[in-house]
Amino acid sequence: MEEAVYKIRSLKHSYCGQTVLSIDHLTIKPASIVGLVGPNGSGKSTLLRLLGLIEKPAEGEIRFNGRAVEPFSHNARFQITLLPQEPFLMRRSVFRNVAYGLRLRGDSVNAIERVDEALAMVGLSSEKFSRRPWYALSGGEAQRVALAARLVLRPKVLLLDEPTASVDAASAQLIREVSLKAREELNTTVIVASHDRQWLYEVCDEILHMVKGRIFEKGHENILFGPWTKLGPDLWGKKLSDKQYIRIPAPPNDDVAAILDGLSFAGDDETIDDRKFVLRGVVTRFNLERNSGRLFATVLVENQAFTLELTNQQAEERTVFPGKTISICYDPDHMRWI
Amino acid sequence: MSFLLNGFFQAIELLASGNAETYSAIFVTVKVSSYSMTCSLVMGIPLGFCLGYFDFRGKKPFRTIIDTLMALPTVFIGLLVYAFLTSRGPFGGFGLLFTVPGIAIGQTILALPIVMGLTATAVENMDEKLRITILSMGANRRQLFLSSLWETRHGILAGAVVAYGRVMTEVGISMMVGGNIKWHTRTITTAIALETNKGQFAMGIALGLVLLTIAFCVNVSVALLRRRT
Repeated sequence: MEEAVYKIRSLKHSYCGQTVLSIDHLTIKPASIVGLVGPNGSGKSTLLRLLGLIEKPAEGEIRFNGRAVEPFSHNARFQITLLPQEPFLMRRSVFRNVAYGLRLRGDSVNAIERVDEALAMVGLSSEKFSRRPWYALSGGEAQRVALAARLVLRPKVLLLDEPTASVDAASAQLIREVSLKAREELNTTVIVASHDRQWLYEVCDEILHMVKGRIFEKGHENILFGPWTKLGPDLWGKKLSDKQYIRIPAPPNDDVAAILDGLSFAGDDETIDDRKFVLRGVVTRFNLERNSGRLFATVLVENQAFTLELTNQQAEERTVFPGKTISICYDPDHMRWI
Repeated sequence: MSFLLNGFFQAIELLASGNAETYSAIFVTVKVSSYSMTCSLVMGIPLGFCLGYFDFRGKKPFRTIIDTLMALPTVFIGLLVYAFLTSRGPFGGFGLLFTVPGIAIGQTILALPIVMGLTATAVENMDEKLRITILSMGANRRQLFLSSLWETRHGILAGAVVAYGRVMTEVGISMMVGGNIKWHTRTITTAIALETNKGQFAMGIALGLVLLTIAFCVNVSVALLRRRT
């Protein structure tokens, strides 16, 4: 059995005395693509910085290829690279920015050809861009140059922190393709934090949900966030519109988050279990999970998005398509507080 | 105002004719400022980098002390250094009073907090993303230090120029520690003070012009260096 590229045990990290990350156990397989999803402040970037050996965890251990590692670890620092959300280019030409990592390694063999190749991978012509100074690039071009500066290193692990968040659609598409290419051509393990769930569903072997610094689920569960208000006797929930509420059993506190298991499709002509609550929303898109072939629909109920797993048969028989209003139902007893 | 104009023309004459006394003061000034700037840069840049880069207990009060020292009056430094170097002082045995190295020690004390403080400010203003980028490329500690230093070079250079300006133009330390001894420890600024007191405006203006020229050359060199890098 192939050894895990990362093994994490009892990892904790804090800023100013406040714990921002707490992971008991996590294993990441080599040459896999792992997605991190979660709201802002859920600890995705912190986890990437720890995995990228940028910061040392306050507690716990990160093992890379079987060895405990920390910032400046000699066996790992040349194999892992992180692309932060906002690209940072040093005050030098595009060529020197891309070749910077090679220079740090003292690796100048065929540097020109390798830089040209990396620029070509991200769709930038070396003739046009190599000599350009850092300030003469658009946001998308700067992000692609920053990605090329990582790819030229042929990393074993590529960590991407919301790589498509601040670029235009064309650059985002290119970055997505290049991330996949890195795995296919370089056998790189790619760990990507993104709000672009559709992309993650398409490309990831595994998706990790992060909430409040912890990994809760590996899948497509719906996570609902407070604050919750009391709607009536023994009834709590969140008002989505004048007609629709998410109703929940009494929460342990009014700001707790919850994982909603067992969200299901409810046809209009079906009899729905009395214990279940129904919400009506619009299908906004479909996602096909690449590896398993599972089909997921994103259903927007007012401003709250739900992910619903559908069978192909359900999608065909009910003619579910983006734009169609459908009913979904859930059992509040299947709610887990986190 | 004609005496000023006459002084200006006589100054050109003094410089053009290679007046030994004038050139002696220029030579001593360049020599002593080179010593003091070398010492303050060698010590001040690494210390300032550490001050700006690392968090440690007592950092804020230490930073306040450095900022206060940036405004030290030169006569006060002169007085302290004189007290330490005089034959009755703790370092009197080294025979450094009224010597060029003695002035250089005083000027180093003047320039060091400026170099440290402005280097620390440049490093504190360094974008956090720079550190992440350098580390994510696989840098070791030394490479992180050197790359960060290189990226903050413009701020550090500005600090060095400010310190050099203070060192070149100070009178108090040179006068008190150097003693303004002709051919030995007389610098441009102490010579200007002396010649003006004597009513010799020509030499004073000539030396003032030299100070201006040196300052101009230093700033042009720095501007060229910034443009090249």
